[in-house]
Amino acid sequence: MADPTTDPQRPIAEIDDEQLPVAKHRLHGAKHFLGLYGAEHVAATEFVIGAAFVAMGATIQDILIGLLIGNTLAALSFWLITAQIAVKTRLSLYTYIEHNLGELASRLYNGANVLIFVAISAAMITVSATAVRVLFDIPPQVHGYPTSFAFILIAASASVIAVLVAYYGFNVVAEFATICTPWLMVMFTAGGMVLIPSLNETLTGYTTLSSFSDFVSLAGTTVFTGINAQGEPGIGLWEVIGFAWAANTFAHFGLIDMALLRYAKKSIYGLCTATGMMFGHYVAWISAALMGAATASIMKLSIAVVSPGDVAYYALGATGFVIVIIAGWTTANPNLYRAGLAAQAVFPSIARQKVTLVVGAAVVIGSCFPFIYRSILPILAYAGLVLVPIGGVVFAEQQVFPRLGYKSNWHRLKGVKDNVPALITWAVCLVFGFGLNFINIMPFVYLFLPTWLVSIICYTILAKNAGADKSYPEAEQREQKFKQKVEAYQAELALKENKVPAKDTSILTKVIRAVWIVIGLIVPAVLAWRVLFNSPNLYDYYVNRELFYVLTIWCTVIYFVFAWWDLQRSKKTVQETDASLNKAVSNA
Amino acid sequence: MKLVRNTVLTALMPFLCISTSAIAEKITVATVNNDDMVRIQELTEYFTKDNSDIEIDWVTLDENTLRQRVITDIATQGGQYDVVTIGTYEAPIWAQRGWLVPLDDLPVDYDIGDLLPAIRAGLSYDGVLYGAPFYGESSFTMYRTDLFDKAGLEMPEEPTWNFIKEAADKLNDRQNGISGICLRGKPGWGENMALLTAMANTYGARWFDMEWKPRLDSEAWNSAIQDYMYLLKNYGPPDPWEKGYSENLELFKNGNCAIWIDATVAASSINNPNESQVAGKVGFALAPDAGLGKRSNWIWAWSLAIPVVTQNKNAAKRFVAWATSKEYTQLVAREDGWSNVPPGTRQSLYQTPMYLQAAPFAEMTLASIKSADPNQPTIEEVPYTGVQYVATAEFQGIGTAVGQQFADALSGDISTEEALENAQWVTEKVVQRTRFIEQD
Repeated sequence: MADPTTDPQRPIAEIDDEQLPVAKHRLHGAKHFLGLYGAEHVAATEFVIGAAFVAMGATIQDILIGLLIGNTLAALSFWLITAQIAVKTRLSLYTYIEHNLGELASRLYNGANVLIFVAISAAMITVSATAVRVLFDIPPQVHGYPTSFAFILIAASASVIAVLVAYYGFNVVAEFATICTPWLMVMFTAGGMVLIPSLNETLTGYTTLSSFSDFVSLAGTTVFTGINAQGEPGIGLWEVIGFAWAANTFAHFGLIDMALLRYAKKSIYGLCTATGMMFGHYVAWISAALMGAATASIMKLSIAVVSPGDVAYYALGATGFVIVIIAGWTTANPNLYRAGLAAQAVFPSIARQKVTLVVGAAVVIGSCFPFIYRSILPILAYAGLVLVPIGGVVFAEQQVFPRLGYKSNWHRLKGVKDNVPALITWAVCLVFGFGLNFINIMPFVYLFLPTWLVSIICYTILAKNAGADKSYPEAEQREQKFKQKVEAYQAELALKENKVPAKDTSILTKVIRAVWIVIGLIVPAVLAWRVLFNSPNLYDYYVNRELFYVLTIWCTVIYFVFAWWDLQRSKKTVQETDASLNKAVSNA
Repeated sequence: MKLVRNTVLTALMPFLCISTSAIAEKITVATVNNDDMVRIQELTEYFTKDNSDIEIDWVTLDENTLRQRVITDIATQGGQYDVVTIGTYEAPIWAQRGWLVPLDDLPVDYDIGDLLPAIRAGLSYDGVLYGAPFYGESSFTMYRTDLFDKAGLEMPEEPTWNFIKEAADKLNDRQNGISGICLRGKPGWGENMALLTAMANTYGARWFDMEWKPRLDSEAWNSAIQDYMYLLKNYGPPDPWEKGYSENLELFKNGNCAIWIDATVAASSINNPNESQVAGKVGFALAPDAGLGKRSNWIWAWSLAIPVVTQNKNAAKRFVAWATSKEYTQLVAREDGWSNVPPGTRQSLYQTPMYLQAAPFAEMTLASIKSADPNQPTIEEVPYTGVQYVATAEFQGIGTAVGQQFADALSGDISTEEALENAQWVTEKVVQRTRFIEQD
């Protein structure tokens, strides 16, 4: 794609918004990011990752402390690395690469993204398929490959539907995903609460826990035992910290989340990612691990192979099927969409349908192989390793170059086609990172750190030699003019768009909201609370659990009906307000 | 020359030792902390002396922790343990799941044909032995001969529940601290439900029909529970819902029970004058029946099994064969006396005069074990095995929940009818949910 700044005659209004820095009036406050990140990190993957920590043999102390430290480091990385650059450039990483690293880097980067997003999508569809397998009497898939033709059929059908929905109905699913977050949070927590008494009874003969230390003791003996699936001492505190930190490497050190954080009014809002880290990657992981261990114990299967569908069913009853399908689907949908877009960017000359078809076919095949979803944590860590060098290059340009007196946008100013130093840096870092992994001198989850540092140093040296420390007065002047034009255009746009957000204060809306909050969220939470704290013996536990199962599925139905209704009413209010404002503007 | 040779040998000794220990296979045995298992740990040196290429590492845990640890290890294919101690409840379930090494190639001198058929059946799956029995037990009727004589009663060798009711009525003397009968009332799948399930079998009851539909709503269950409630409410010890095996053992030893129907393993303790006030005044009879052809005696054994994931299969097998052999029985008798040999596994033990002399209850124990059939525990056909339990993974939870209901009925918190209704409901629900997901 052409650099918009190279055609000074082209009106700014004709340039795609994505190619421009975010306008000031479109920036968001902290509340927006608190909600956004809460939603972003509560997904079907959490079922798998929670169980992965158990299979890797972490101890409960390491989990409680290690996840806290690792997720704090992740939140700090979002703040100090991603948000700083996002706020400074106000661009998504894709646009940044396109503008500053050249066409080839952009294609390669998008190519890597295709692979990663295809793997994530396939994994999430497999997760959804595991929920459906019980309904069709398909045996558990305990191997890395499919052992039942019916499972292949189910997974492939689910993929085909998911690909079609992502292609034709992306917006509907994306919209639907926005209302899922509070419900997912409640259900993840409730699932763990519901299975704790059962787990405790098998160990101690009692269904009740009298203190937090009882919980630690239970989790330490049954779930986080410190022994891995091979019967050897498992991962330690450092690895737990590393996994938590590295699970989102591609988003923070790799800067993918510039796409979200470029809308932040202040860079400190990067800390709002803590909602996702501390709920999705702390409470939900621990809860998922508890659910997984209890299910493995009930099914007499290894936690390393117990499927998310079975885990969710044991923990949440019929609601478990819904949570796995919804969590899987809503995670797969945006990743499929991203994979499609990235693939189109790699092959711009091939028809969109053909590219989508190829990506879809890869997802369909991948979804039939359970090893992909079971390897999601290493996949995410390695994906981070692949993408982190680009993050290092951008970090060098934005944070190091100004301090050295180099030009951050030297490649654009110089006007060459490809940013060769960036390409070389990436190649060197891949060899370096995976080389370190090959010689196995440190846990692979930490490989991103030396790789990132090497990318900064390597790129700084190579870019200097390529002319980053030179002056390009003419091009700089052109850039400055373009920037002024953009600012003027966005100021004009702000006058049209800047309006007080419409708020629906009608009684009906309040009632609808009360229904989904109380019936959809509070009632299941209270029922789960009763199961955990009001089950003095196993019989009472079964009674409370059954009540939870039976009512929660109805609460779920009510939640989605009313939350969707609420969302549609809010949209309608916004549309009506827009229409009346537009009318007022045109009358004026 | 001799000096040179000795010097060379002395110099090589450390290396020879290192090389011996380097080739020694170390096997880890997970076991339960009861007297018999503690004893075998002390005697293990006899095994390692004859098998210098094997080292034994013991992991001793209480029963619940052992079960949890071993399940986790086996289910996750951890391979921490080369030999595990499991009961007749676990053996067929784990064997069905392919977790255990079949013990179908034990050495000839092991004499597998000497194992008591009922015990062997309880530890087998599809006719193949998966756990070598270390210790076995059944249940029978223990009664005070002095009180029976005083009341002019005679205990038949094969009593019925009706006779037990009559005798309990006559012998009940609460003013003098004697309860007509003691039975397990404490809730738990291994406590009141072990007795009640075995008792219900004799009344024609069963947990499930052939379609796995719970049948606790049947008339047979109702009759069994009514009789159980009647006995304990009228002639049982104070607060019977708090009395399990250990509590009743103490009561009986202190002379507070006229009749007690429980595990055969209790016999040596109540007959030991050093710890029992009623030693020498105790008679033994088979567990009662209800005239329908099944007795209410259960069967249980602790056994040694080998997980399939072990890396030391041969060494583990050699140890298991030794620990459950006739040779080991002889060793215990030699070291600690005949009364301390692990009972209930081999026919030959019950043909040993010295043992029969040391254990006057031995013949009745043997008769009880022989008459229990874990493969056909009920009068009507059932899809499960196990006399005092149902050998399915979900039974532990169900058994304990149902046991709680019967304990509540005993304490008067709920009626017997309500307890049965609740028992049927909870069994139905749990089975529905687990069977739904486990169909494979």
